[in-house]
Amino acid sequence: MSSRRSRISDDEINELISKLQSLLPESRRRGSNRASATKLLKETCTYIKSLQQEVDDLSDRLSDLMAGMDDNSVQADIIRSLLSS
Amino acid sequence: MHATKEFNKKGFFKQFLLGLRISKSFTTNPISIEQRKNSIKLSSDLAMAFARGRTHWTRALISKLGGKEENTTMLKGIMGRRYGILMAIYSYPLPHQKVQRGKKIVRSYRFCSGANKRRALKGSCNRVSPSIVARNLVNRRTKVLKRLVPGGELLNGSSLLSETLDYVISLKAQVDMMKSLWKATQISSSRNVELDPSASCQGRKLLMLANSKDEFQLFKKS
Repeated sequence: MSSRRSRISDDEINELISKLQSLLPESRRRGSNRASATKLLKETCTYIKSLQQEVDDLSDRLSDLMAGMDDNSVQADIIRSLLSS
Repeated sequence: MHATKEFNKKGFFKQFLLGLRISKSFTTNPISIEQRKNSIKLSSDLAMAFARGRTHWTRALISKLGGKEENTTMLKGIMGRRYGILMAIYSYPLPHQKVQRGKKIVRSYRFCSGANKRRALKGSCNRVSPSIVARNLVNRRTKVLKRLVPGGELLNGSSLLSETLDYVISLKAQVDMMKSLWKATQISSSRNVELDPSASCQGRKLLMLANSKDEFQLFKKS
């Protein structure tokens, strides 16, 4: 796949793969060596799609809630969520 | 990873608020729910990309969003006088990086039809080995991933992996921040609290303290 072995070592690729795997929601149950390349790719694609769908969903809900709000209220809510998380 | 999230938060919300303000200023009332949703989504995506800084996928995303006619006003509002320069910096892709359609993949996919796959699994066919089946599956899945990650189509191998990792982290942060904003908005709208003017002053100070990197100086509230 990558012909730039001199710049990126195999170790770094393995590290990337394990990091990616640790992000995915399902694979935390299993041991880290179980997943094959195809499985990792498929779960990553599914996860990205679900995250993008969630953003879309949240935009919907926020647009509902923010319907009548003025600027100050929006700003206050943003600050409140900054401070609470 | 946690450190990245901390950085993203302030920058993200600053950009998000800015985007919302701008979209409010140039749309006429009454605004449809659809329009408001689109401007929220656009502000959120742009905020995520700008807060992350200049990576491959953020450049691709900003470039793609900025290329759409209806989004130019929003971007000009966010970037101000430096719109031209920033769009050039975030421009993507370069002319010589035109996307090559993968003919190889199509050919091997057709070659590896369902019947062949079954024969290969049974082990009675010596034309298509399981390793070729697996490799084709990897290729197909990689193609899907490339389409999902902004700018992914020009990357390969480890670069694609690292960009994917970065993108997933940012997406997750974006979702988390929007969720917490939604919770806060729910609480406030159910309580219907009257705000005192000093609260918004504090807010402005907080936002100006956030993130003093050079690139974002121009996004300061005037």
